[in-house]
Amino acid sequence: MKKRKYPKDEIITFKSANEMPPLAVSLGSMRWNKTGSWRYIRPIYENKTPPCDEACPAGEDVEGVQYLCEQGKFEDAWKLILEEHPFPGVQGRVCYHPCEEACNRGHYDEAISIHAVERFVGDYGLNHGLIPPRLSQERGHKKSEKIAIIGAGPAGLVCAYHLARMGYTPLVLEAHPVPGGILRVGIPSYRLPKDILEAEIEHIIKMGVDIQTDSRVDRDLLLKDLKDFNAIYVATGAHESRNLNVPGEDASGVMSGLQFLIDLNLGKKIAIGKKVAVIGGGNTAMDTARSVLRLGSEVVVVYRRSRAEMPAIPAEVEEAEHEGIPIHFLATPIRVITDQERVVQMECVKMELGEPDESGRRRPVPVEGSNFIMDVETVFTAIGESPQLSFLTEDIQTEWGSIVVSDHGETSKKGIFAGGDAVDQPRTVAHAIGSGKVAAIAIDTFLRGKDTAKIAASVQIGQKGSVSMERYLRGEIRYNASKVVRFEDINLAYFEHKDRVDLPRADIEKAKQSFVEVNSGLPESAVTTESGRCFNCGVCNMCENCWVFCPDISISRKTDAFGYDIDYDHCKGCGICVEECPREAMSLEEEQK
Amino acid sequence: MKKVITGNYAVSYGAMVSRSQVIAAYPITPQTQIVELLSEFCADGLLDAKFIKVESEHSAMASCIGASATGARAFTATSAHGLALMHELLHWAALGRLPIVLANVNRAMGPGWSIWTDQNDSLSQRDTGWLQFYCESNQEILDTIIQGFKISEQILLPTMLVLDAFFLSHTSEPVDIPDIEVVDTYLPKYNATYRLSTENPYAFGGLTGPDHYFEIRYKMQETMDQAIEIARQADEEFERIFGRSHGLIERYYSDDAELILVVSGSIASTTRDVVDQLRSEGRNVGMLKVRMFRPFPRQEFRNAVRRAKKVAVIDRNICVGFGGIFYQEITSTMYGHRDDLPIFGFIAGLGGRDVTPNVIHEIVTHAETHDTPDTEIIWIGVKR
Ligand SMILES: Cc1cc2nc3c(=O)[nH]c(=O)nc-3n(C[C@H](O)[C@H](O)[C@H](O)COP(=O)(O)OP(=O)(O)OC[C@H]3O[C@@H](n4cnc5c(N)ncnc54)[C@H](O)[C@@H]3O)c2cc1C
Repeated sequence: MKKRKYPKDEIITFKSANEMPPLAVSLGSMRWNKTGSWRYIRPIYENKTPPCDEACPAGEDVEGVQYLCEQGKFEDAWKLILEEHPFPGVQGRVCYHPCEEACNRGHYDEAISIHAVERFVGDYGLNHGLIPPRLSQERGHKKSEKIAIIGAGPAGLVCAYHLARMGYTPLVLEAHPVPGGILRVGIPSYRLPKDILEAEIEHIIKMGVDIQTDSRVDRDLLLKDLKDFNAIYVATGAHESRNLNVPGEDASGVMSGLQFLIDLNLGKKIAIGKKVAVIGGGNTAMDTARSVLRLGSEVVVVYRRSRAEMPAIPAEVEEAEHEGIPIHFLATPIRVITDQERVVQMECVKMELGEPDESGRRRPVPVEGSNFIMDVETVFTAIGESPQLSFLTEDIQTEWGSIVVSDHGETSKKGIFAGGDAVDQPRTVAHAIGSGKVAAIAIDTFLRGKDTAKIAASVQIGQKGSVSMERYLRGEIRYNASKVVRFEDINLAYFEHKDRVDLPRADIEKAKQSFVEVNSGLPESAVTTESGRCFNCGVCNMCENCWVFCPDISISRKTDAFGYDIDYDHCKGCGICVEECPREAMSLEEEQK
Repeated sequence: MKKVITGNYAVSYGAMVSRSQVIAAYPITPQTQIVELLSEFCADGLLDAKFIKVESEHSAMASCIGASATGARAFTATSAHGLALMHELLHWAALGRLPIVLANVNRAMGPGWSIWTDQNDSLSQRDTGWLQFYCESNQEILDTIIQGFKISEQILLPTMLVLDAFFLSHTSEPVDIPDIEVVDTYLPKYNATYRLSTENPYAFGGLTGPDHYFEIRYKMQETMDQAIEIARQADEEFERIFGRSHGLIERYYSDDAELILVVSGSIASTTRDVVDQLRSEGRNVGMLKVRMFRPFPRQEFRNAVRRAKKVAVIDRNICVGFGGIFYQEITSTMYGHRDDLPIFGFIAGLGGRDVTPNVIHEIVTHAETHDTPDTEIIWIGVKR
């Protein structure tokens, strides 16, 4: 058939039958017919926030990581996490992964194993000697302002990491002989091997962060040495163990669980009895009990509420029980019985749950006459920690033992910022990381004289306080951040049911005898399969559905970038593309007439 | 190569030697063997064609339409209800100017569920724009498929060839199956003028307003008129290569006949015998076999009956509410041309009832003994 000789965008009207083809064939085109004028709703490409992203207190692009992992692009996935924080290897092990709870796939079959995928990506980065992504010369040029960060826990280190990327040379002051905070001195190595943590901290140091260990900041130092610093970030955590407030507590066999872990992690020798009780239901209690077990003693956990109220990460509780550690629920010590200054027994009382308290959990109340006695030689207290803030000056406001801060980590004193466990926020590594990011943004905007509140608002992901550092530093808009994709928004016709891949079950008998890491990670093939289950809620992955289904050929692939173009001259607004988008990466808007 | 084969197999061989490239068909009695053998040809590599199994005749024709639009030679076969189910797409194929060839095994329409022959199924598709050929023998069936592609691909209109259920479909006769290479010289590769392709994309069958639709119909009729001459040439060329021709309307002792019997399909071979016998008795009877029904070779017909005193049309079909369909065609063909010529319309053999020599004799006797027809429909053999 000959090439067209008819004008492309005009109506062809034949004057005689002779000129005409014998059949209805499009010798010209229908482009002259601007059917777009019929439209009263318009489809738009609008990536939205996946619920996992919103749920991640550390502000990771969780969906983006799954997208890259599915394609085996682990280096890119690692770099994507490193845009937000330098701890994928750590977080792939210790994070409580609220992302999985939020995962829409959970309503379909099972949530994606996001936590296990992150661990693989973190290890991949370390095993392949990857280098964190750097910012452009323009964005990351050297800056002269002096910034001090007190405390080298996750909050302080993450803040330092981002400030260093921005061109600052933050000075981190750490009381302990090693950096890492609870990651280093609290969490035992069977959960988080030290080499993983150290390697990731090494990335931070290489970024240009100066960490001075064995440097406890007291009020004197704060007032003198840090006087001429332009900004200070207080991220000193919460290490002060709360007391039991029962008779006999002062005996030498009653110790702080956290202090025990710190000593253990710093390689100190600790003498403990053969029979040990750990009081509490949080991570400290679990880690203490499991460490005691590994030191060869008999251990029992006593917790005053029931399993549902335990603040520890559920997986940790499960593993402790797997290892054979008994947990006495609904019981609390009322007296430590000593014999010649040595602990011999502990008297407890049974509890029952009453009305909810201010934390929303049901308040435990003693059951009269239910007292019982247990034989113990060592008692570890792990009923909570509070920040140690005596070094702060009075102009920095505190409340209930925590530093008071704004949404952006600003304290009541100009130029002083705070975050992590030292402020009133959930005590998790992810939240500590998130607060470190918030503070880095606040410090940068403060030092550059910009409107912190306005900028902070523009980098929010969803409604739960997560922020995107990538957006702040690179101006990259991941998506319409305020719209979070719900399960109902997913077009399930495009997803097959598929089992979730979990971490391989560890050999408990072997594991409980040493401080070697309990769980092994996922193999590469399992990671690609698992991230392939991701719905990619709200984020276009170029599945072509819109392009394939458009009955008006009004959607075309972008030639130079990711995504599609819509030809609004001809799109009639039928909405099929939006309906067939499996992942709500398109929306319909009413046409403004 | 000569083989003794059924009419159905003659269809399959015809489609094979024509190098059909796409075959989409749905089985239906009495056509099933056609599809069976073709699928075997494809499976055995004797025919390099895409064999598409479909879920209905509607889809079969749709597939042929798609295939033909891309420039492929497309073939299908069906019968009765299957053909009726295709109806919408028969229009589409014709208006889309697609040179598809379809073999229809004439079978009576149900209910009164029947698998036996009559012509109502194919004649119901008279106005869809397809060429129609009614075959008398298995050889003619095979030849008409080859000719059908030859004609259709020149004029861009589809061809339906028709064979009687059982009398032809399941009856074996010696058939000469020409060498495929010889067929190639007669039937070159189809080179579509309008082709669905990704390199040079066009949309087909789009919205066509009153500004143009009328002309599309006009051109179709114009082509149909030309098709008569093209079919004649195709038959002549066929004869030069294969030594056989079938004509559009075959004249058998008709030139000097006083009474001419007008027949189609397998009744023609019975009539041939009867005519021979009557002629030997000195009775002046001849036969016209209408092979090409669409387009109807009107002028050729008029010439053929120029000297006749009477014409008797035998219809194995009925347009209920009017009469025999061939009868209608012929009376309207003759209108204003020979008003002195009585035309008798006989209905016989519906639903596969045998049209034996005796039936033909009865028809001849009736026509001979009446000056003009008493009624528009003369029923033969009906149990009143
Ligand atoms: C035993 C235990 C297990 C845990 N397990 C998990 C877990 O599995 N998953 C999870 O998400 N969360 C877990 N948590 C909580 C989590 O570790 C904390 O929320 C997080 O580490 C807080 O980070 P941060 O940087 O604010 O403080 P920290 O990690 O506590 O770091 C604060 C740092 O500041 C230093 N410092 C304190 N005061 C001074 C000073 N005056 N001068 C200089 N340096 C000072 C400290 O030495 C310390 O290194 C656990 C907590 C504990 C105690």
